[in-house]
Amino acid sequence: MKAGGSEQELREAARKLLKDKKVGVVVGYARGTGELRSTPAFIRHGKDADRLIFDRTCGISLVPHLRKALKALPKGAKAAVVAKGCDGRALVQYMAEGQLKRDDVVIVGVACDGVLDPRKSDVLSDSCLRCRYPNPPVYDVFVAEPKAVGAGDEYAAVTEFEKLGPEERWGWFQTQFAKCIRCYACRNACPMCYCEECFVDQTNPLWFGKSAEQPDTAMFHIVRALHTAGRCVDCGACERACPLGVRLGLLNKRIEKEIKERFGYTAGLDPEATPALATYDEEDKQEFIL
Amino acid sequence: MSSILKIRKQELDQLVAALVARYRLFGPVDLDGTTVLREVRSADELRLGAALDEPAKTVFFPQTETLLHYDGDKVEAPAGRDKPTAILGIRPCDAKSLVLLDRVFRTGTHQDSFWQRRHEDSLVVGLGCSLPLETCFCNWMNLGPFNADGSDVMLTDIGDAYIAESCTDKGERFLKAAYKSQVQRPSDADLDKAGAVRGRARAALKPPVDVPAVKKALAGLWDSPLWDELTLECLSCAACAYLCPTCHCFDIQDEKVPGTSRGRRIRIWDTCMAALFTKEASGHNPRGSGKERMRQRIMHKFSYFVDNFGEAACVGCGRCIRMCPVSLDVRRVLERVRDEGAAKDQKSAKGVASAV
Repeated sequence: MKAGGSEQELREAARKLLKDKKVGVVVGYARGTGELRSTPAFIRHGKDADRLIFDRTCGISLVPHLRKALKALPKGAKAAVVAKGCDGRALVQYMAEGQLKRDDVVIVGVACDGVLDPRKSDVLSDSCLRCRYPNPPVYDVFVAEPKAVGAGDEYAAVTEFEKLGPEERWGWFQTQFAKCIRCYACRNACPMCYCEECFVDQTNPLWFGKSAEQPDTAMFHIVRALHTAGRCVDCGACERACPLGVRLGLLNKRIEKEIKERFGYTAGLDPEATPALATYDEEDKQEFIL
Repeated sequence: MSSILKIRKQELDQLVAALVARYRLFGPVDLDGTTVLREVRSADELRLGAALDEPAKTVFFPQTETLLHYDGDKVEAPAGRDKPTAILGIRPCDAKSLVLLDRVFRTGTHQDSFWQRRHEDSLVVGLGCSLPLETCFCNWMNLGPFNADGSDVMLTDIGDAYIAESCTDKGERFLKAAYKSQVQRPSDADLDKAGAVRGRARAALKPPVDVPAVKKALAGLWDSPLWDELTLECLSCAACAYLCPTCHCFDIQDEKVPGTSRGRRIRIWDTCMAALFTKEASGHNPRGSGKERMRQRIMHKFSYFVDNFGEAACVGCGRCIRMCPVSLDVRRVLERVRDEGAAKDQKSAKGVASAV
């Protein structure tokens, strides 16, 4: 894939940030193995900025890499990060959760047309097909022009799935969990899984068994989905990271819909908003409590 | 004298039936778009030729294996096997990995009875690799797309049929017993076709890197900043290790049924890429960050394993490249190691020259 105009603009923006000493590192994408993969790049010198790319192969969430890059920098130094709409939303959610100060990071926004599903190579990821947020909600530099916001029904797949009977739904999830080898690529690729110690890595007490059998695999995915409830920005990084094609997005999307209907809250849009599960209101719906 | 015969694809059932009669048979099957190794009973379940997403080790070294059941101080071993195991349709890279793992699990005084129980008397009917992927690098590891090491019988896909050739005495005995007199010999044209398939596959692989030079370089790179850079790129997940056909580390856990004296002891895959792997009871972790863990994995595969077993713990299957969530390519890592080593050598040579 050849570098388009906006890619040149992206490289220029990175060069300028480094030249003006605004940041110590630019976290972006470089070409990975083959034409259809990208890999994280840590650009520290203007001369290396030509490695940067942005296209439909850039499906990795760079937010976990940004976290590591910030830790590796001297105190007070900033990092820049290339952010699609969903990555920008993850950064906004970090700000809402007190994990990142707006001033610590320079957000280089890119408008996203959706990224490829790495297992199909010619089809967009499920999360991109339903995406309504192509542009990061906050940014310092924007490369090219922001895209028009999507207007489709982002819950269409969830609604279809809800029409199935409980056995069919559970059967579908069991097939997904049967593929899981507990490599935790989903968790490590997830921008919102930033816990210093994950519940599955705790040994005293050992909350869940370590096997790759049911129900251990199912419990891992269900509890992770609950831990990201009201926080998941549906970037789809977990599904794209999974080496065995476990499709988790539907579970997260269903929970997102619940949070939206009950609390009128959508994660990753407003850095000042209080996250849905970090607050309590006497008026909260509680008809499910008998 | 090895047997060569032709098996038409529509007659694959005969081969599968012969295998199922004598063995518990595993082969590649589709699971919701993912190709995994599962027990099979008929040819129509098989997805021969598709790139296998799981490594062959899962058959003999399953991710979760029950070692024993207990009730108080009574211990019960898991049930014995009724048949030996056979695998059909794995590539030569996966077949070779089983040879390497057999060395690990059955080394001198140490014989792993759980590995042995599954692996002993097993039969591998390998499928030669007609179309190496962009991520394949078996030739770096002194192997090739039709390397016979680890296969008892090797199939070559010539379009409408397979050419089956025995590679070991065991494979020879199996083919003779399975096909008796109805053997169809391949014609000269069939053999030419098979030769062309093999030639094309070999030509598709890119020139290899000098892997012994990588081992030499690793000896001087313990404190290299290369590991810091790599750990920024790496997600520190276990996809590479768990999908690696030669990674073989494991953990053992007891699972007690709450409120009873009953439980089971299981063995599960574990990996040096995980923080928990080396975390000590005190809370101290000698491999405290991704940097030390990444270094350990590369050192073990390309240095320590060579010292212990004479070969690297890698067969170039490329699953770790194809499946890596962030496209961290182990070939690029090896090239970076080689280049760092060469740069260091040059620097020290200069130092010596200036001291003289």
